[in-house]
Amino acid sequence: MKFQPHPYHLVEPSPWPLAASIALLTSTVSAVCLFHGYSHGGVILTMGLLAVLSTMGLWWADVIREGTFLGHHTLRVQRGLILGVILFIVSECFFFLSIFWAFFDAALAPTVELGCAWPPAGIQPIDPWEWPLVNTILLLSSGATATWSHHALIAGDRKDALLGLACTLVLALIFTGIQLYEYYEASFTISDGAFGSAFFFGTGMHGLHVLIGTIFLTVCFYRLINYHLTKHHHVGFEGGLLYWHFVDFVWIILYIFFYHFGGGEPPIIKNSPWP
Amino acid sequence: MLSSALRRTVGSARLLVAKGVVRQPAARAFSVLGPRLGEVNTSMIGPGAKPGTIPDDIEQATGIERAELLAKLEGKELFDIDGLKITAMGTKKNPIMVKSVDTNRYVGCSGFPVDSHETIWLCVEKSHEFDRCPECGQVFKLDFVGTEDKGHGHHH
Repeated sequence: MKFQPHPYHLVEPSPWPLAASIALLTSTVSAVCLFHGYSHGGVILTMGLLAVLSTMGLWWADVIREGTFLGHHTLRVQRGLILGVILFIVSECFFFLSIFWAFFDAALAPTVELGCAWPPAGIQPIDPWEWPLVNTILLLSSGATATWSHHALIAGDRKDALLGLACTLVLALIFTGIQLYEYYEASFTISDGAFGSAFFFGTGMHGLHVLIGTIFLTVCFYRLINYHLTKHHHVGFEGGLLYWHFVDFVWIILYIFFYHFGGGEPPIIKNSPWP
Repeated sequence: MLSSALRRTVGSARLLVAKGVVRQPAARAFSVLGPRLGEVNTSMIGPGAKPGTIPDDIEQATGIERAELLAKLEGKELFDIDGLKITAMGTKKNPIMVKSVDTNRYVGCSGFPVDSHETIWLCVEKSHEFDRCPECGQVFKLDFVGTEDKGHGHHH
């Protein structure tokens, strides 16, 4: 039998890099068209996003086939994959750093237009001790159940691994539901000046990451049910967990700065034009 | 619907391959096409997990990953990716042997003891009697352990 003399995975020709390029270009160009009011921008954007999503699905399905069913993921390859996830999360850190930068730029020295106050004059922020506190507890608990699931998997306890991951997913979905309810009930919108923009940019991007993390862990759940994951070879699950804890961490920062420091009681302004 | 149609197509494709009507291409377009057309080596498949349990790595692993784990069980490393260990100056009588599955391999010589001079890169060739570092004269020789037919058509 002929063996490759090295532990690395030399990938074979695949249509997905090209498909991803075309799908992403379609998405960005049609998004610009949509924002500038060109006709059918929304339709083409929808098609572009569907193409991106299906490319992602098919590409990662190939990765699962190569790793789980063809055995191309040697220990060295697994290490490289995890390193890739870590580097991706580092880039995500800097993405969120820029959002927080925008928030602090507006909040730490509020301009005259904002009433020289933060929260700005006329803004009624969300009370951090109500639903946001519930959400914090939910998300931290989901981090705990995720770790429970991971340790159960390593210990070879299939039932607990499945149960822990199922709890994580349920908590994640409740979090998203509460966040949607909060958006629906909020007295300000994304177009209500710096506060609304920063708030919905920050929490919206976090919410999007929660959704992506939920999908990531759902795939892990499916793979756990189908016996893809072994005690020590479960790179996808490890990546999903790292991502989930990252999302958890971002929420803590959001909760502290967006809801407590930047929220709280609205300033009392004498002779305010707003009722 | 789609999956049954796919199964039918793949099934008939497999039949055509078996009958020798269609020859399996040497270079395949997609990574999954090989196994779908039945390119599976049964000696490289583990028993898998018992129902209701989490499999051990060795129960589940297949392909090159399985080979690596089986070698580790025997206390061996399947892949030799460590650097050359130079414990004595390579000479014509006693050259540094450079294991290679290819007909040539690049070696960085830094003299003896190691790091005596700047690293100089040499291409140690199978056809050469020996190769020498132009700086310190250290002698290297290719220890060819591969086969001339490189198989897959990869040229790396």
